[in-house]
Amino acid sequence: MTGGPPAAGDLPARSRGVIALLEENCTACMLCARECPDWCIYIESHKEPVPGHEYGAGGVGQVPGDELGAVGSGPAPGPAVAPRGGDGGSGSGADPARGPAGRGRQRVRNVLDRFAIDFSLCMYCGICVEACPYDALFWSPEFSYAETDIAALTHEQGRLREWMWTVPPPPAHDAGAPRPR
Amino acid sequence: MAAVDLPPPGLGPGPGVITVDAGGACSLRVFDAGLACCGVEVAAALRRAGALVAAAAGDMGEQSAPLTIFVVAGTVTDKLAPFVLNAFQDTPTPRRVLSFGACSNSGGPYWDSYCVTKGVDQLIPVDVYVPGCPPRPEALLEGLALVLRSRGERR
Amino acid sequence: MTLQEIIAAVGDGLPSSVRCEPDHRGVMLRVTPEHWLAALAFARERLDCDFFDWLTAVDEAGEGFSVVAHVYSLAGRHHVLVGTLLPRAAPRLPTATGIYRGAAWHERETYEMFGVVFDGHPHLAPLLLPGGFEGHPLRKDFVLAARAAKEWPGAKEPGERSVPRARRRAPPGVPDGWGPS
Repeated sequence: MTGGPPAAGDLPARSRGVIALLEENCTACMLCARECPDWCIYIESHKEPVPGHEYGAGGVGQVPGDELGAVGSGPAPGPAVAPRGGDGGSGSGADPARGPAGRGRQRVRNVLDRFAIDFSLCMYCGICVEACPYDALFWSPEFSYAETDIAALTHEQGRLREWMWTVPPPPAHDAGAPRPR
Repeated sequence: MAAVDLPPPGLGPGPGVITVDAGGACSLRVFDAGLACCGVEVAAALRRAGALVAAAAGDMGEQSAPLTIFVVAGTVTDKLAPFVLNAFQDTPTPRRVLSFGACSNSGGPYWDSYCVTKGVDQLIPVDVYVPGCPPRPEALLEGLALVLRSRGERR
Repeated sequence: MTLQEIIAAVGDGLPSSVRCEPDHRGVMLRVTPEHWLAALAFARERLDCDFFDWLTAVDEAGEGFSVVAHVYSLAGRHHVLVGTLLPRAAPRLPTATGIYRGAAWHERETYEMFGVVFDGHPHLAPLLLPGGFEGHPLRKDFVLAARAAKEWPGAKEPGERSVPRARRRAPPGVPDGWGPS
């Protein structure tokens, strides 16, 4: 290597610089916190109810108040009950041909309140990144985050999210590799 | 900016002390308490410390005495703790302490061990903590730059 | 020496109470404490094991401490494990330093970590632990205080705000009354 030390942008993908969190993918399943050998991941979450999908004559697959379709990000609340006889896309007008109106049962989803990693303890093993079933944790090659106060080394989800934008894209598969599933 | 020559390791004011001289503008001495694996990264970093000092020397201005940075790199076991403390107390002022790696920050992966000091800041005051296990050599250079930038505080 | 030759030699040279268990690398000799030195001397002289690798103990929870030594033959390229079982109450064994000088520090470490006393050792003092350390850390009943003092971040279920009092559990091996209140 010529010249000065490499910048973080020159490092290969999955270089173990810092761990970044994509909060949209996180379901607060606690697997990373449980698998972490150093006990350095702190997660706080709570449950929120999700009203069931309306089906049948009352409307097709629409959650009341959810015009933007916000419900449905994160874990799917379960298979929506398909309207009987319906074609599944003609809007929310009442249609007796769809059968009796109803609403699926109320579901519950986890909402993440706090996701913090204490990088003064973290040993950068990557077990959390591998354990996450929802691909919410990523390796970022950033290494310039030294602090003058050790408490400042515990980073919350805001800072973890900023590091997401430094995560390089994964390298292409090898020529002879099996197709990804 | 003067050219920077690192003396070969082992020569100089004493074992483990590397002097980085930027032609009279400043002088930086890094005392490397390399206790474990992080010591290898510090050794790798100090070979390139010239680039750092050349960049940071403009900030330092005139220094009457060379600044000594005591770098603790590696696990501080309870058995070794008194020696680290003695080495720090023998370090001449002005001095700063840089804790390098998870083990010297907080005990790291050995935080629950029966014989590990959970962070060198239990023994000596630390100015900068560099996280990593081990941190890259470049992270040490960034940490040294942070020490130089925040040198208003005295220890 | 082939495996057959080793087994034959063991059958000839050691008492019949010695169990010889072959595996792909060599043999394991299980002896009673009275035959400990005889087995090591046999391994050195008759089985050509001139390289002393390690000596340590295992806390067999019910049965006591088993002390195991691993020696190796550089010419014959076979491994020999010699193991014995000591009572938990007063574990004593004669020192192996008369046969293998390299056992000196291994026996010091086994003494400080398990409390096994090696009679005749030239300098049976703690090796790795700081002065004034109380207890034998690698015994199974030695409580790892740090894990008792810090609450496990993974104890909460997904979506739980805090662990209910009824489900609060100390880490395995921690006696009642320890841990954060």
